[in-house]
Amino acid sequence: MTSMQTAMPRQQLAQAMTNIVAPAQVLCDDENQRPFECDGLAVYKQMPWVTVLPDTVAQVQAVMAYCHQHAVPVVVRGAATGLCAGAMPNASGVLLVMTKFNKIVDIDAQLAQATVQPGVRNLALSEAAAPYGLYYAPDPSSQIACTIGGNVAENSGGVHCLKYGLTVNNLLSVTMVTIEGELVTFGGPGFDTPGMDLVALTAGSEGLLGAVVEARVRLLPRAEKVQVLMAGFDSVTAAGDAVADLIGGGVIPAGLEMMDKLAIEAAEDFVKVGYPKDAAALLICELDGTQAEVAAQLSEVEACFKAAGATSMRIAKDAHEAAKLWLGRKSAFPAVGRISPDYYCMDGTIPRSQVGHVLTRIQALSEQYGLPVANVFHAGDGNLHPLILFDASKPGELEKAEACGGDILTLCVDVGGTITGEHGVGLEKMPQMPYQFSDQELAQFRAVKQAFDGQEILNPGKAIPTLKYCQEYRSIQHD
Amino acid sequence: MTDLTNELRAQIADAVATATPLNIVAGNSKAHLGRQATGQTLNVSAHTGVISYSPTELVLRVRSGTRISDINQLLAEHNQRLPFEPPCYAQRATIGGTLAANQSGLATPWFGGVRDSVLGLGLINGKAEHMHFGGQVMKNVAGFDVSRTQVGAMGTLGLITDVSLKVLPQFRAEKTLMMPMPLPQALTYMSRFFCQTLPVTAVVYWQGQVIVRLQGEPATLQAAAQQLGGSEMPMHEAHKLWQQVREQTLLQPQADEILWRTNVAANDSHTMVGDDCLLNWAGAQRWQCLKQTAAKPAGAVQYAGGDRQQEVNGELDKTSQRLQQNLKAAFDDQAIFNPGRLYSWM
Ligand SMILES: Cc1cc2nc3c(=O)[nH]c(=O)nc-3n(C[C@H](O)[C@H](O)[C@H](O)COP(=O)(O)OP(=O)(O)OC[C@H]3O[C@@H](n4cnc5c(N)ncnc54)[C@H](O)[C@@H]3O)c2cc1C
Repeated sequence: MTSMQTAMPRQQLAQAMTNIVAPAQVLCDDENQRPFECDGLAVYKQMPWVTVLPDTVAQVQAVMAYCHQHAVPVVVRGAATGLCAGAMPNASGVLLVMTKFNKIVDIDAQLAQATVQPGVRNLALSEAAAPYGLYYAPDPSSQIACTIGGNVAENSGGVHCLKYGLTVNNLLSVTMVTIEGELVTFGGPGFDTPGMDLVALTAGSEGLLGAVVEARVRLLPRAEKVQVLMAGFDSVTAAGDAVADLIGGGVIPAGLEMMDKLAIEAAEDFVKVGYPKDAAALLICELDGTQAEVAAQLSEVEACFKAAGATSMRIAKDAHEAAKLWLGRKSAFPAVGRISPDYYCMDGTIPRSQVGHVLTRIQALSEQYGLPVANVFHAGDGNLHPLILFDASKPGELEKAEACGGDILTLCVDVGGTITGEHGVGLEKMPQMPYQFSDQELAQFRAVKQAFDGQEILNPGKAIPTLKYCQEYRSIQHD
Repeated sequence: MTDLTNELRAQIADAVATATPLNIVAGNSKAHLGRQATGQTLNVSAHTGVISYSPTELVLRVRSGTRISDINQLLAEHNQRLPFEPPCYAQRATIGGTLAANQSGLATPWFGGVRDSVLGLGLINGKAEHMHFGGQVMKNVAGFDVSRTQVGAMGTLGLITDVSLKVLPQFRAEKTLMMPMPLPQALTYMSRFFCQTLPVTAVVYWQGQVIVRLQGEPATLQAAAQQLGGSEMPMHEAHKLWQQVREQTLLQPQADEILWRTNVAANDSHTMVGDDCLLNWAGAQRWQCLKQTAAKPAGAVQYAGGDRQQEVNGELDKTSQRLQQNLKAAFDDQAIFNPGRLYSWM
């Protein structure tokens, strides 16, 4: 592979880059590049060879064309909040940092659409749309920091995906620079374009197909009424059944989240919002719509949760209380961070009906590995975020955490789910790809990759394992 | 209820071995779409049946030859629906063809099109390999989104064997309102359906009227109807109209005509704004029948009628064309699936 080849001398590459961007936009010493070593999954680290921070599309085109011509690997990076080492730099490549592209090009309030540069932060878009009564629906918990470019590349979701979809469902068009340095746009201002859906292919492509330089997204009107309620249950199975009953009964909440005992306790100790610490599971449900709609749905949700055996229920009286109920959920990761030196966040998705079974199995794995696991997840979507608690300073604990995480992911595949619902494969989940996909399927992915990037220099070594990698993986499994 | 996967795969393997181009056909309801089909017929129509359906999961998995009308009936029994409301084409349309031809219906702007409901699919590629992408869960970002890429590809990337779809609960009530107004005013008026939270599931402009379908909770519809004003269309008339729009029978090209379709920004005031145009999706999808001799409306797709040997889906820029040719080769390097159906060069 290209990354194995001898790298172009650093000074030569840096010099070539300064012919394209201003010298201040090129970093090539370790000290200045240190902050770019990793993304949100900091156990994977790699010093970039050369870091470039372009601020025009023409510069991105020139950087890509140069790297293409000289077979230099390119890794595109947004805010690096990614949780799969997708934006981890390449040892002999250019790290293309897109954060200077932070302009909202246009908010079309009449059509409820926005055109944005890729470095625009997710929350900044909703804030800019707010004066028009609009917002951008996909809302990852990292929305303060993560960028739209990163969201497109990961097809990110959030707590409101259940009703409003992932990034791909809110994306109208994408403009990207190909590895040859060509500019291309897929999609348009309408809801459809003739031919194969390349907008969908780009979404979730993890920076393997091109550098996104502009996106047109849909905005949604703020709902007239939002209602949040929470309910405690004395088992995760009962809470899981409540979720299935509610959705099967015809109610699609705007958000429906679950936390287990360890997560409830950690969150409550951290932010003190009045979560029932004696509950084994907690559901947080958000309904939105017109006044009449929400009122009708609220009584259905209450009845459903009661029938499923809710041990406590609290309906937020006002926006302030609603925000408090959400705060506990949104602080769950840092809250768990307080009770353990380190934690490892997984992202499997399973059919909703399997929630009880899978959580029981995760508990067993937790005991087997001797590592506590807190569960926080998008229950409505069946998207789990088990947080494996460990202490990296203890020899062998990181490896144990990774092994436990690997087992959780293969468990998700076994029950008909997937190894990643929204965080992406990156470098992290490469070992599980051959478990979820056959060699033929993986070869098909590689062929798609090569259709865009024949030399495989865009984010090499990520997301799609090579055949050789799979063979090694399978031989280990069979030993 | 027959699983013909192995037979279909064997037929494809034969075609690959003999370099025989294939024309994938199921209900044969869409022969009039795309460019002229060529190649030996590969019939998928007997490959039918539900593989799994779990109403509480909101997930349906069916073989690709399953008819839309059968799917609608099954879902209705469980008080659910296909969010993208595709045409049934006189009971002939199948889910595979619907996906390949991207037949997104009335509610697309509010509940998404075909692609937004697709969770996963099975595909036989040009090496006669049967593969699965996506799955039956709501979120899945492992690997490239090969499933949604098939939407609109007109079967040029492979044979779809089965499709997993997200379904939604049925609505409890429905109401259709009419507001007469001239087109320029309607274009501005209709954009409110993107900017306000209204229980709307269809908006067309037809023969001087904005026609709005509301669906949802009865109380909500009442409130929305009051807010919008206009007059209510009698239920049977409304059903007929929505069926005609969905089934694409409102505008039918005569022998010497072409039915043009275009996707534009909903408030575009230049493209297809004649009195004879049908504006669907609150203006974002427009239809017009014109004599074959008339000039092609800018940016439009030659949806049905006219010369099907020529390019019907318009021109692509060089880079898009190159990437699509590369993708075609990535799935079907011998070009055996539906050659030329989407573009002459593919
Ligand atoms: C506390 C926390 C909570 C999180 N919660 C969620 C959540 O609820 N839901 C969720 O889905 N994710 C969540 N994430 C993960 C992460 O925030 C998302 O994956 C996010 O979309 C990454 O955006 P970014 O700008 O940080 O991208 P980066 O991390 O910089 O990059 C991510 C990937 O995108 C590629 N990329 C970035 N920009 C571009 C571009 N312009 N063109 C092409 N490729 C590009 C990179 O190469 C990389 O592969 C969370 C992360 C943290 C730290």
